[in-house]
Amino acid sequence: MRKPDIFKVPIGPQHPALKEPESFSVSLSGEKILGVDIRIGYNHRGIEKACEERTYVQDVYLIERICGICSHTHATCFVQAVEEIAGLEVPKRGLYLRTLIAELERIHSHLLWLGVAGHEIGFDTLLMYTWRDREIVMDVLADLTGGRVNYGMNTIGGVRHNITPEQAQKVLTAMDKLEEQTKYYIELALGEATLAARLSGVGVLSHEDCVKLGAVGPTARASNVDRDTRRDDPYAAYGDVSFSVITDDHNDVFGRTVVRVKELMESYSIIRQLLKNLPEGPIAVKAPRKIPIGEAVSRYEAPRGEDVHYVKANGTEKPERVKVRAPTLANVQAVKKMLENRYLADLPIIIAAIDPCFSCTDRMINIREVASKNSRIMEWETLRQKGIEHYRKQGIDFSKVKITQSF
Amino acid sequence: MYLRGVKMAMEEDVKQALVKQFNLPEETIRIPRPRRIFMEISPEKLKEVLDFAVKELQFTILLTITGLDESDRFGIIYHLAQKSGSILNIKINISRDNPILKTITPDFSNADIYERELADLFGIKVEGLPPGNRYPLPDNWPENQYPLRKDWKQEKPEVSEKSGGDQNA
Amino acid sequence: MIHSLFLLLIFPGFIFLSIFGTYAEFVDRKLYARLQNRMGPPWFQPLADFIKLLAKEDVVPECAVPGIFRIMPIFALAATTTAFCYVPVWSTHSLYPFSGDVIVVLYLLTIPTITFFLGGWYSTSLFARIGSVRGITQLFAYEVPLFMSILAAALLANTWSLTDITLFYSRHPSYTFFNIIGFAVSILALIGKLEKTPFDIPEAETEIVAGSFTEYSGRLFAFFRLTIDIEMVVGAALLSAVFLPFGLTLGPIVGFILFIIKVLFIVGLLALIRTIVARLRIDQMINFCWKFMAPLALLQIIINLILKGVL
Repeated sequence: MRKPDIFKVPIGPQHPALKEPESFSVSLSGEKILGVDIRIGYNHRGIEKACEERTYVQDVYLIERICGICSHTHATCFVQAVEEIAGLEVPKRGLYLRTLIAELERIHSHLLWLGVAGHEIGFDTLLMYTWRDREIVMDVLADLTGGRVNYGMNTIGGVRHNITPEQAQKVLTAMDKLEEQTKYYIELALGEATLAARLSGVGVLSHEDCVKLGAVGPTARASNVDRDTRRDDPYAAYGDVSFSVITDDHNDVFGRTVVRVKELMESYSIIRQLLKNLPEGPIAVKAPRKIPIGEAVSRYEAPRGEDVHYVKANGTEKPERVKVRAPTLANVQAVKKMLENRYLADLPIIIAAIDPCFSCTDRMINIREVASKNSRIMEWETLRQKGIEHYRKQGIDFSKVKITQSF
Repeated sequence: MYLRGVKMAMEEDVKQALVKQFNLPEETIRIPRPRRIFMEISPEKLKEVLDFAVKELQFTILLTITGLDESDRFGIIYHLAQKSGSILNIKINISRDNPILKTITPDFSNADIYERELADLFGIKVEGLPPGNRYPLPDNWPENQYPLRKDWKQEKPEVSEKSGGDQNA
Repeated sequence: MIHSLFLLLIFPGFIFLSIFGTYAEFVDRKLYARLQNRMGPPWFQPLADFIKLLAKEDVVPECAVPGIFRIMPIFALAATTTAFCYVPVWSTHSLYPFSGDVIVVLYLLTIPTITFFLGGWYSTSLFARIGSVRGITQLFAYEVPLFMSILAAALLANTWSLTDITLFYSRHPSYTFFNIIGFAVSILALIGKLEKTPFDIPEAETEIVAGSFTEYSGRLFAFFRLTIDIEMVVGAALLSAVFLPFGLTLGPIVGFILFIIKVLFIVGLLALIRTIVARLRIDQMINFCWKFMAPLALLQIIINLILKGVL
């Protein structure tokens, strides 16, 4: 028998299935995946280094921009660490508001995921429906904080925006609407045949593998790993609210979908509890400019899984070291396992099912080739020259065209 | 305090168990707040301590590995977590001139990517790391440039006047 | 001569087909959008897309075989347009009927898929190659049920000519109801032919970019898109001629309006199916075709054979 031909298909760094640059080089035999070579790091922006060169307050805003979706996640995780080092006691109301935004963010992230998952398996109707409903929660967030994805809510020592009773009422109304929609999605996820056909048994990650590879968040909980930082290591106001941790034993993409839609229902309940028991009082305490020497590890259950920040302070107004471990970095290592012996058609949804966020994952370094010895920055003129040559080969001559530059 | 999980080991118990097992002075282990334990040990003992923490104290989850540049030496912190929520931060110090670290991938298969990060950003040689792609720097990154070292400064790109300006202007 | 040219090129030939094809695409897109709570495009959007693509540069990949790469879109367009000559439109008569034309129409409607395969394969892009192999694999799955269900209808009418089939059913409209299984099967097969969800596996965007069309751009791509639009109209016209032969004796104007309505009804049906399902995997698609569609088409043939004996 002839050995089957092996294709090597580059999925990424630029590919319609991926919303961010990362590379999965897939070896295929026919439609079957034989192996995959994952290369991440295309999104490095030097944020950890940049944090060391800025003050704590500046860092809050910088860190908020690590990720476009879990912006509140990173900011909260960072300020929690700094508050711990500085020994600041955040007022109760501040903690409640922080938690409120956190849960609203979880809702918007999970709805976003549901839509992306639908798109990856060619079910665009789900994408359109969930993203329409996502607008509701985005509007609420914009109303509370002024931003749709970057809220600027956190500051060291508390939060920056208070909430009026009218706003609280608006949030509650939105929750009712969303809950009704989510019930429909749960029905859809559990009932629709082609959806189940594309999700069941796909991207299986057994409980043992999941524990071994250290997967986090809904990915882990769908493999029946009962871990949720909100319950295990309560931060902000999570100690005061009651909620259940959703787990599922399907171990596949279907399970991950079920976990996420059911988590939405928990989030609605948490938000109602928070608003019902919202304490009166100040929302923030004043933080010193210089943070005393110390170190702290902070954890936060992001929509995608557990986010870990380590902050070391050296007594000045700038941190000595900020380390970010985004949830995707913990999950991406499980993707290889999930892709084993699957079909190419399953690849987009398997990757999407960990809800990857490569901006979070790749943080650190600003890539500027000029900094290296073999500098290769193309100047404007060189680029233009290259363009002219390219077109001359095709019989079009642009060299006569003069460009007057005005600087 | 909301704590649950298998074989609860409170922070103080963990501390005493570690002190007893490895004959450590009490002050090398700090408990700044509930569920956080910081300790410092010598690099040779790392494997023993990790084994003990995993098998006896149920710190089975590796959260991440942090590298620190402390001007005269590198600090490496292994953040381990229990299912019940406590975090054990084990710090070791290695020399800055010849930074060599033994991999812990045989025990924690997810340590792979965190160790690659140390290798790329601090220039720490990790022995025994399985072959694979580098992370997170690009493949054409110049050698001996380790951005998270304190003495590494990002140079301002040298841009000639003609090339840098706004081309739409 | 001039009359024939008019028929072939202008009405109901190429020009009419192109305009109606783009309009059918608009109906498809608009319905799809409205079902998804979106606004959808304005009526001239597909036409505007086509004109815009015509103005764009044709890029032929360096590794591609330029001859095949360039000729395939035109080949596909010619095949689908030709097929329309044998489909009855406003009366029970097609333009150039002859005995056995139903086979020719089915054959001509297979050609676009083959051209997608050849065009994709010779463009040498990895994604295009995977897409073309998928397209051909899919062809073997849906083509047999489609043939069987249309031939079952022909069997009952006792003729191999589309014109005679239509004539037979418009004389005995109640017989159409026996072909309901065949109609359902051929609608599903048509989805496969047009490569629409849930059978859009050959051009699954999130997996293989645009499948066979990955490397196509400009005019060549515009022709491929026009082919698919026309294929949609011709396919729907074929199904409506065989399975919905109502009101064809009421004169050309009423017949023509009914023709438009029938085609748009089938296009709408396709849009509706597209809205409520997810894309299948190629193995699931093949399984579905051979496990359900082929046996159902066979059942249709058996029913019609028995009917022929009884009636």
